[in-house]
Amino acid sequence: MPIKKLYQEEQIDSPLGQLWHSFASNPFAVAGLWAIIFLLILVVLGPLLAPFQPEMQNPDAILLPPSWDQAGHVSHFLGTDDLGRDLFSRILHGVRLTFGMSLIVVISALVVGFVIGSLSGMMRGLKSSILGHLLDALLSIPSLLLAILVVAVTGPGLTNVFWAVGIALTPQFVRAIHQAVHEELQKEYVTAAKIDGASQIQIFWYVIMPNVWDVVIIQTTIAISVAILDIAALGFLNLGAQAPSSEWGSMIFQGLNSLLIAPWTITIPGLAILFTVLSINLVGDGLRSALAPIRN
Amino acid sequence: MWRYFVRRINLFFVTSIVMISVIFFATGMFPVEKGYALSGIQFPTVEQQAQTVEDYNLEDNQLNQFIAYVTQRLSGNLGISVNSQQSVADELSAVLPASFELSLFAGCIAVFFGVPLGVIASLSASKTIQRSILAITLTGYSIPVFWLGLTLALWFGVHLEWLPISGQINLLYEIEPVTGFMLIDTLLSERPYAISAFKDALLHIILPAVTLAVLPFTVVIRITRQAMMTVMTQTYIRAAEARGLNTFRILIRHALPNALIPVLKAFGLMLGSFASYGILVEVIFSWPGVGLWLINGIYQRDYTVIQAGILSVSLLIIFLSIMIDLVHTTINPINRKELYAN
Repeated sequence: MPIKKLYQEEQIDSPLGQLWHSFASNPFAVAGLWAIIFLLILVVLGPLLAPFQPEMQNPDAILLPPSWDQAGHVSHFLGTDDLGRDLFSRILHGVRLTFGMSLIVVISALVVGFVIGSLSGMMRGLKSSILGHLLDALLSIPSLLLAILVVAVTGPGLTNVFWAVGIALTPQFVRAIHQAVHEELQKEYVTAAKIDGASQIQIFWYVIMPNVWDVVIIQTTIAISVAILDIAALGFLNLGAQAPSSEWGSMIFQGLNSLLIAPWTITIPGLAILFTVLSINLVGDGLRSALAPIRN
Repeated sequence: MWRYFVRRINLFFVTSIVMISVIFFATGMFPVEKGYALSGIQFPTVEQQAQTVEDYNLEDNQLNQFIAYVTQRLSGNLGISVNSQQSVADELSAVLPASFELSLFAGCIAVFFGVPLGVIASLSASKTIQRSILAITLTGYSIPVFWLGLTLALWFGVHLEWLPISGQINLLYEIEPVTGFMLIDTLLSERPYAISAFKDALLHIILPAVTLAVLPFTVVIRITRQAMMTVMTQTYIRAAEARGLNTFRILIRHALPNALIPVLKAFGLMLGSFASYGILVEVIFSWPGVGLWLINGIYQRDYTVIQAGILSVSLLIIFLSIMIDLVHTTINPINRKELYAN
């Protein structure tokens, strides 16, 4: 039995509740959220669910098409590649490498970018302007190009991709947070708090930050999809994860040799990337439109 | 206006200097001897060694080295390529036009198809059309471009055999470069096969350009739609309706020019990702542009090419985004008001 309402007055949700209601009213965004939860589970459990080792080569089952094809076999659900490696297992192991790594990269870039961005945002005058120019310069290098520069210095490899994409993403966070903090700082409610005698730290954390979190959230969703695409692109260019790795972009690169006779070796990892990035963009879009009325 | 102009020019110089110093810093970190990374001469003779040391001020402190580096690079000395032993500046000027051609073509495709679709999406009342256009744009946003390129090449190039999938033109045609834009060069060419060469070049550009156009296309649709929806609620549109103008005229003359201003801005913001997509597309379709050249330079550890490639692309992006910013300010009256108000 529902609790009887004793009072006439309207109940107003907390900001978080409002956000959730507005977010949940968009079915696509919720679908994206489920997809991300599914992927997060796969990041943890993927290797356990995989029927084969990702590097295990089966010389009896080379270039087997997916199981729904006439020539396919049910033991290799998504078929095998030119070395007889099971694509399904490789995709499951790859979730950790592509999606999991993009999360780690974005979180590290977010932490670094948050610290630098909020410090520089609170500064005024020359220091702030110098930092602004520096960031403009770093931002004008496309993230992939910056990543390529880092790889050119350090050499290819999955750990270097971490640094490359991380360094490429950090300026974007710094820039977004710097700008948001700076903009809020000009507003009158901050002046009011200052007149009340709030210290710099109090102004930053209790006055400004509640209005900046949404920028951080939106920037994070954008950054995750950029990170996935960059990691995969570097893998595809053979500058990131190297040959036997089951990183999705690298899998596409390894499938290039048998592209003409076995197109599924590139289609399946490609679809996996598309699915992941699409679900993140759906959630990001949903969050943006849910946050829009609150921000304005 | 002039103050703003000067400030933007300043910004361009400061940003470029920062950019060059990032590349200078990275050059110092390359896992080879510094003189080699700077000049591209792997086994220099005594004179060459002395020349490199003198050119780049290698025995001085870092600051003077940096000044020497900037002077050398800006005076057009980009060193020689480690692999081809050619001057990097010459190679760069040979590959740049091809990239421009591809990106311009892709940009035009995006605008020609994106703007009308965006307008339709903003005007149509039907939920299905709106939803499907949004779904298309979101997919276009999320699709990995290298995979899309491969799939298109596989389908239209290999299975259907409609379009060629690699290079800029069939090697049978010998076209002397004038502008570097293959489509223009073939038309300018005096040879008897000029027209068929033009057709061939046109066929070659379609697949890479369409692949590259997907990202700007989706962005243009989204921004146009959003801008049109805001513009159509403005009072001056209602005034135009009240004057009895027909809808088409209102759209073209009154609403669209204002709706296109944010599209221009979005183009400026998109340049970076557009360039990285361009690199991937060039690699997939072996398009002889800067991207392919740069990636090959990395595979071959060609340090001078890497520097020149990254330097040229990023300087171009800085320059273009500041240009777009300037144009945006000049044509947008609202922006101007803000400028003068301060």
